[in-house]
Amino acid sequence: MNVLVLSGYGINCENETLHAFEVVGFKGKIIHINDLIQNPKQLNNYQIFAIPGGFSYGDDTGSGNAMAKKIMTNLYDQLTDFSLKDKLIIGICNGCQILINLGLVPSLNKKDPEVALIENKSGSYECRWVDIKVSNNKSPWLINISTLNLPVAHQEGQFMIPMNLLKSIKANNLIGLQYINHHKKLAKGQFPFNPNGSKDDIAALTNQNGNVLAMMPHPERAFYHYHIPNWQSKTLKKFGDGYKIFMNAKKFFA
Amino acid sequence: MTNTIQILSIEKTGKESSLQKEHNNKSIKIIDGYFFSKNLDGQKFTKISKLISNDVSQTILTKENVNKVLSSYSNFNWVVEIKFLPGVTDNIATTVKEIIKDNLKSSFKSFELGSTKIILIKGRKEDIIKISKNEANPLIQTIKIYPFKKYLNNFKKDQFKIEKVKLPKKKYSKKEINLDISDYHLSLIGKLGIEENDKSRRGTLGLDLESLKAIRNYFSTIKRKPTDVEIETLAQTWSEHCKHKIFSAKIDDINEGIFKKYIKGATEKIIQLRKDNFCVSLFTDNAGGIEFNKDWIICHKVETHNTPSALDPFGGAITGIVGVNRDCLGFGKGAKPIANTYAYYLADPNKKYQLYRQKNKDPMLPANFIAKGIISGVRVGGNCSGIPTPQGNVYFDDRFAGKPLVFCGTVGIIPKKIRGKLSHKKKANPGDIILMAGGRVGKDGIHGATFSSEELDPNSPVSAVQIGDPITQKKMSDVIIRELRDENLYSSITDNGAGGLSSSIGEMAKESGGFIVNLEKVPLKYNGLYPWEIWVSESQERMTLAVPPANVKKVIKRFNARGVEATIIGKFIKKEKAIVKYNKTKILNLDMEFLHEGYPKLNLKTSFPKIKKEKKKIIKKSSLIDKLHKLLSSPNIVSKEFIATQYDHEVQATSIIKPLQGEGRVFGNATAIKPIFDDEKSIALSQAAYPQYAETNPYDMAGCSIDTAYKNLIVSGASSKKIAILDNFCWCSSDEPDRLYQLKEAAKACYDYAVAYQTPFISGKDSMFNDFKGFDKTGKSVKISIPPTLLISSIGVVDKISHLTKITPDDGDILLVLGNTRNELQDSVYSKIIGYEKSKNPVVNSKDALRTYKNFEKANKLGIINSAIGIDLGGIGIAITKMAIASKKGLTIDLKLKNKISVDQFLFSETQSRILVSLKKNKLANFKKLFKASDYTIIGKCTGSDVIEFKDNKEIMRGKISDFAKSYKQNIKGL
Repeated sequence: MNVLVLSGYGINCENETLHAFEVVGFKGKIIHINDLIQNPKQLNNYQIFAIPGGFSYGDDTGSGNAMAKKIMTNLYDQLTDFSLKDKLIIGICNGCQILINLGLVPSLNKKDPEVALIENKSGSYECRWVDIKVSNNKSPWLINISTLNLPVAHQEGQFMIPMNLLKSIKANNLIGLQYINHHKKLAKGQFPFNPNGSKDDIAALTNQNGNVLAMMPHPERAFYHYHIPNWQSKTLKKFGDGYKIFMNAKKFFA
Repeated sequence: MTNTIQILSIEKTGKESSLQKEHNNKSIKIIDGYFFSKNLDGQKFTKISKLISNDVSQTILTKENVNKVLSSYSNFNWVVEIKFLPGVTDNIATTVKEIIKDNLKSSFKSFELGSTKIILIKGRKEDIIKISKNEANPLIQTIKIYPFKKYLNNFKKDQFKIEKVKLPKKKYSKKEINLDISDYHLSLIGKLGIEENDKSRRGTLGLDLESLKAIRNYFSTIKRKPTDVEIETLAQTWSEHCKHKIFSAKIDDINEGIFKKYIKGATEKIIQLRKDNFCVSLFTDNAGGIEFNKDWIICHKVETHNTPSALDPFGGAITGIVGVNRDCLGFGKGAKPIANTYAYYLADPNKKYQLYRQKNKDPMLPANFIAKGIISGVRVGGNCSGIPTPQGNVYFDDRFAGKPLVFCGTVGIIPKKIRGKLSHKKKANPGDIILMAGGRVGKDGIHGATFSSEELDPNSPVSAVQIGDPITQKKMSDVIIRELRDENLYSSITDNGAGGLSSSIGEMAKESGGFIVNLEKVPLKYNGLYPWEIWVSESQERMTLAVPPANVKKVIKRFNARGVEATIIGKFIKKEKAIVKYNKTKILNLDMEFLHEGYPKLNLKTSFPKIKKEKKKIIKKSSLIDKLHKLLSSPNIVSKEFIATQYDHEVQATSIIKPLQGEGRVFGNATAIKPIFDDEKSIALSQAAYPQYAETNPYDMAGCSIDTAYKNLIVSGASSKKIAILDNFCWCSSDEPDRLYQLKEAAKACYDYAVAYQTPFISGKDSMFNDFKGFDKTGKSVKISIPPTLLISSIGVVDKISHLTKITPDDGDILLVLGNTRNELQDSVYSKIIGYEKSKNPVVNSKDALRTYKNFEKANKLGIINSAIGIDLGGIGIAITKMAIASKKGLTIDLKLKNKISVDQFLFSETQSRILVSLKKNKLANFKKLFKASDYTIIGKCTGSDVIEFKDNKEIMRGKISDFAKSYKQNIKGL
């Protein structure tokens, strides 16, 4: 099984993302977006398409926008095809912003983007660890996970969803992850549990098949036990919570 | 037809809410605008608008909807329009251009565009003026304020304009400069710059009379007049910034200068004593390199960017951080940046200093604008580059009102060998092509190197600011580190920083012999630059590579495929000549020897300064608990969490000891990263400076800095044999003998303590004139000098994960202070805030200190230590409180003091070389086997309650941890 990790134009988490996939047993390659545009057919060699975090185009004109437009112009059909197959797509942080801007998630009306990620309510960049719960067990990425402790690091992580659409998102069970507080209850918008003021504490959305996951927190940065804050005071196994997401991908193809 | 696209967010943005809060006005809205040099027809307007906006969260203004859309927010009456001045780096515009080119392909070819921020407000004109002052910097931006109606009118009539760089069309003809003039006129050239035909001056060269005479002598021996380019080049190359003339000068009886004797001297002595492979590459390269493990080298470099940050805090700081990133890219064959560090020395952001560069005009930016701008600049630079920024600190003192100090550092990593060759060795060979890669060249930062060596006075050229573009650099860096380097496609590489091409090529050509450059080949941001400007411009994001001719095509192709420009601009030659041509005219032709070594060596004298004694403040009678709260909430001790959370310290998934430590999130004084997935070794980082101790005793000040920077790494778990340090001297008035005395003393301490601790200096930098000369609000002339500041950055290797320590004790732990406490309250935080009577400044006894550190290291490796924190500002009292806040566990302290020292002296003295540790009870016996009874004091235990108690036979204080946490986490006023 092969994973393609996208790079270029300011994407910057490709090494650690690839590493996480490799440790759970995938083979993978980091491919520059321009090389992929040159030869889109190589997508056929891969079962997972991962868009890592970063600052593509410096977040100018809105995070994820410029890269999404580049993909839309050059690779949209191929990527849509990919998402319709028995394959997996994940977008983490900036990758999440790109998938949302592409409209591949939640993809309810199959055309323009329906959801936006806007600036954090705090108005500042937030790099901090959060607790989240899995709200949707049907996505292969999230199956059999209940809660996760992962870091976020973003300036624009607030999901903005029109009322009607939110209803259908809920009806279709497309909310992947939600921020929770220290009592393991939904954060209800309360900072810092919900770090960005996201509607309904949403931290991730999926498409209807659940094979495309757009998540703001970074599982690859919570991969080993020593990534976890204050790990020395805790009894931990070898891996952190982020490992579970990558393992799920492995199980999906097992 | 229209020439503007204006977009606003439907929901309130974070920026809008903070503006609304700050100005207590809910009617504020921000529009993102783009002005085009060409009119867009309806179809293009729609297409482009769609490309650069978000359908769901934003609205695009059109002539038809503008009234309706805006009136739905408020009844606005004023508008401020903020644009970049022509020629200033506009990163957003660059991205938009790229998006358009990418997606519309050939349909919209040559055009210019500029981004703009339009702020709408309902309120009084005074309010909008106030906002404009807070939001824009007139040095780099134009600010227009007009009534809302006029804005609507402009919108409907397409009266928004993009201002392009307007440079007079000029044909270059070779300019020769006559130096056979009077000393007075000669010195004018140095101070104000070369005179143009219209009698205007180009701006300071920073050349003193002696240097100009040396130039005159050289040219009279080769029997011709110098060209303007030659003089500009010599000014850059000989600048204090590039040549460190003060550090290399004969000073009193030290013929070899303080750099060779004390800094390099210390390292040479250490290498001679150590006989290991720890030191790999020192002083000669862009950064200093040490061994990480058998396969990897790590390098570290710390730079300052003070003067540019005083003028444009955001631009200065972002350029500082992306600039020092390039020092790593330019280390050896190119190291990958893996961590950033920062240290800011600032004026009180809550005070209004009201300083002017000229009488009653040209004001200094307000202290809070400077502080916020600097913090944001490094945030954007670090975060956008995908380099974690875990380690840093901020210190406030009024004496930084005239010049903030901005230290930016980067750690890099590189395999020891690349294709069988040592990666830290590089050599441009004769015949190699000079390739410039990355950004284009504009007028930005011209005279940066020469002017950062000068005091900030009315003649400082304000055009000397650059704004970094981290994305362009990231694209370039990815190609170099991931592709070209590992295929060994180039023979040498260096960055373009101060002095631009003149410096980078000049330095690199030492490897081959000399160079020939064809300046007309250099790609420009806009036309109309003079050759000398191209040659010395400090436009950012550029690396210079020496590429064997056979590889050039491949290298350029690779850069281009990643959206990066790369251009052949000349070649390296064997002959030791520096030759620059412009359209075949030779405009520079110097001997390399003269270029690099022809400057007159200084001969400096020092004199013992008058010591300005700290004013005796009467101690206000207050309880111990009050004193603790006051100290905890003071700006130099209070938590810097707000910076740690806005700097991404998790990217690259290497963060192993984070800036915020314990459940209670205490801002730590050391952090660690684990850079290689399959090796458990990690890198610990820390830094220290004590400007507050400098005037009392500069020797001890330097000793304290080294001791603290070293101690913090030992405490974090680093191996004492694998610690290296970096020196950054930021001095003031370095032409005055008493300041030079302080410098010499500090440098002497550097030698003594580095040799004692066996920590080599691997890299360093100095900035010698951090003085402000100007006027106060009454028009009286003032000079504000920073206190001499020596930042010591420390980098160390932690061999095992299990060696990494934590600062949080557990229930039942015994608390001990390692090292003895003396009455050393002078210049302490306590004495500044509470007052002091008779005391001494902290003095480091390296012998005692090393005994503590060696024993600590042993104890830690044996698993005897459960938690530990280095004691620094605020003394034991603050260290204890931080431990409790971090662990959220109560501590009981039983002082049992002997008569020698008072409670306040014991708790708040800043005596160096002490560590607060906690042990599990059952480890005490083993602990005692290592430590002599006179080297530690048992002071209490961890109770696990929610209070901190202090007893000295009877109870003297009791306070809730949550209350202390509240004081410790207070916002810094003005930020």
